[in-house]
Amino acid sequence: MDVIANQLFAGLSMASILLMIALGLAIIYGAMGVINLAHGEFVMLGAYATWALQTYAGIGILPALPLVFISVAAVGWIVEKVVVQNLYHRPLDTILATWGIGIILQQAVRLGVGAESRFVKGPALLSGNTEIGPLIMSNYRLFVIVFSMAVLAATWVLMTRTEFGMKLRAVIQNRAISECYGIEAKRVYSITFAYGAGLAGIAGALITPLFSTIPTMGTGLVVDAFLVVIVGGLGSLIGSAAASVLIGEATAIFSIVINDTLGRIAVLAGIILLIRFRPRGLFPTETRR
Amino acid sequence: MSSKFQYDLVALVIFALVVAFGVPAVMNYDGFELNTFARYLALAIVSMALSLSWGTAGLLNLGQAATFGMGSYAMAMHLKLRASDGLPDFMGWNNVETLPWLWVPFESLTFTLLAGLLVPAFIGGLIAIFMFRARIAGVFVAIITLAFLVAFQLLFINQQGLTGGQNGLTGLAQMSLFGWTVDPYSMGFYNLVAGCLVVALAFGVYLTHSKFGLILRAIREDADRARFFGYNVASYQTLVFCISAALAGWAGMLYTLVLEFASPTYMSVSFSLAIVIWCAVGGRESVIAAAFGAIVVNMLEGRLSDVFVEGWHLILGVIFVLVVMFMPRGIYGLLSDSVRKIRRIRRTRDQRGVETFPNT
Repeated sequence: MDVIANQLFAGLSMASILLMIALGLAIIYGAMGVINLAHGEFVMLGAYATWALQTYAGIGILPALPLVFISVAAVGWIVEKVVVQNLYHRPLDTILATWGIGIILQQAVRLGVGAESRFVKGPALLSGNTEIGPLIMSNYRLFVIVFSMAVLAATWVLMTRTEFGMKLRAVIQNRAISECYGIEAKRVYSITFAYGAGLAGIAGALITPLFSTIPTMGTGLVVDAFLVVIVGGLGSLIGSAAASVLIGEATAIFSIVINDTLGRIAVLAGIILLIRFRPRGLFPTETRR
Repeated sequence: MSSKFQYDLVALVIFALVVAFGVPAVMNYDGFELNTFARYLALAIVSMALSLSWGTAGLLNLGQAATFGMGSYAMAMHLKLRASDGLPDFMGWNNVETLPWLWVPFESLTFTLLAGLLVPAFIGGLIAIFMFRARIAGVFVAIITLAFLVAFQLLFINQQGLTGGQNGLTGLAQMSLFGWTVDPYSMGFYNLVAGCLVVALAFGVYLTHSKFGLILRAIREDADRARFFGYNVASYQTLVFCISAALAGWAGMLYTLVLEFASPTYMSVSFSLAIVIWCAVGGRESVIAAAFGAIVVNMLEGRLSDVFVEGWHLILGVIFVLVVMFMPRGIYGLLSDSVRKIRRIRRTRDQRGVETFPNT
């Protein structure tokens, strides 16, 4: 029983990380149909930015978050302006172009910082564990879970309760008509892409104490996060949240029932089956494309 | 169509002549250089296999490396058995007592060669039936094949006793074909690989210009319309997937012979996307262009990594992004566009000539 409870917590912790990464991807994919394979590299940039801030400026993870968000969002904004903006009418080519950008970012970091893995200290405030009976939960992981839900809520508010969100939803529904009403679709796309990239940066910052920071860390993450987005349904925030919990918990449970690798294979097989039978995901949004 | 077919035939003949005679002469018949170039030629076969499914039928298969790996491992299993008497060494390290049943038939070379083609074709076919019966298309094909690739590689690394895990299969024997021991650093071996590539390309050119290829292109442009004309879209897509997988398996077998080992990195996501890059740089619409793309990018990689040991990946990324943005149809697109432009200029000049002498 203890094992299962602890494993469920581990699954939830993984789900929260997946959610943080997948949210940015879901917004970008939902808004513009762009499959951003450079997203994992945005996560990696966030992690390195955190490391740099801690090592050279002595800023801890939590105060670094806004700085990381802004800097990675700026990188995303540039990438959108220079490359992605020219490819909106060729969605399959965005996969290829963003993969190329991913290679460039990864190599730039490898050349600039080095290939060896870097370590970032977790915040002292959140060290230690919370124990409820047999269940032992690391405070930092608990914080990440709460924080990811806060980011989800903030994104939801941004999408549904602000003028920018209204414009974005209008552009998603019909770009041509919303442009007739004076919405600058190009600008909306740029900001959305930057916001998605910034979220990836925050995710990268938060996972630094849990993962080792290496230039290739993004490649594995982006595949997982992308599967979350597809399973959750095109651009659906709730869908992404549900899918990340589902995939996180399924991985955790399979890995005690079978073993880690076979568990992951089982989850991937399940995802393939799900895409086959529900290609629009668990929670499809009704939009005209 | 017929004129395009002629162009492709001419290109194929030139390509074959250059690969068979030009390259070895430039390389000075040096064993090491020939081996390196044979590696590029083997990779050219995977790239051209991808161009059949991606360029002709519009199915972006991000799992091409999986079928490549299957072929590569089939060959490696045979060579490993020949190198070791009884049980291969890595099985002993993993406490495997007897030879697993999966390995037993690979004692035979005939079986190995058949398996290297048919196992990838069969598995590719299963995935294709699974996807295309449900009319999965576009981005979702890419995602499903990518997820399959990740799962497949994990499985291979996990089954250490069967596949050698992360280390792959090393310490292989040299293949003997009809009493000829294949030395990967010899001219004969180079000719074997070059011959395989030319045969594969001839097959690809024939296929793309046959009625089958025409229907595949119709499906790429508009699957529903092809369906309304009464074509069974799913079976055409499945067949091209099988052919592409078999060719990838073939390339994998040659690749093992060139490098003399098989490694799970052949089935990694980055290798699979590298195949897509080669195909895109050359031009996905033509099998010859795709093969050319693989050779050019790999040669460039070889040269650049000598000059910039660290930075060549960066340069490759930049080249790739530029190709996707400004030459979406690759080198082939650039060539065919310029040919069309020259023709148009010539035609307008001819017409003008007619206008000046209206009554002659």
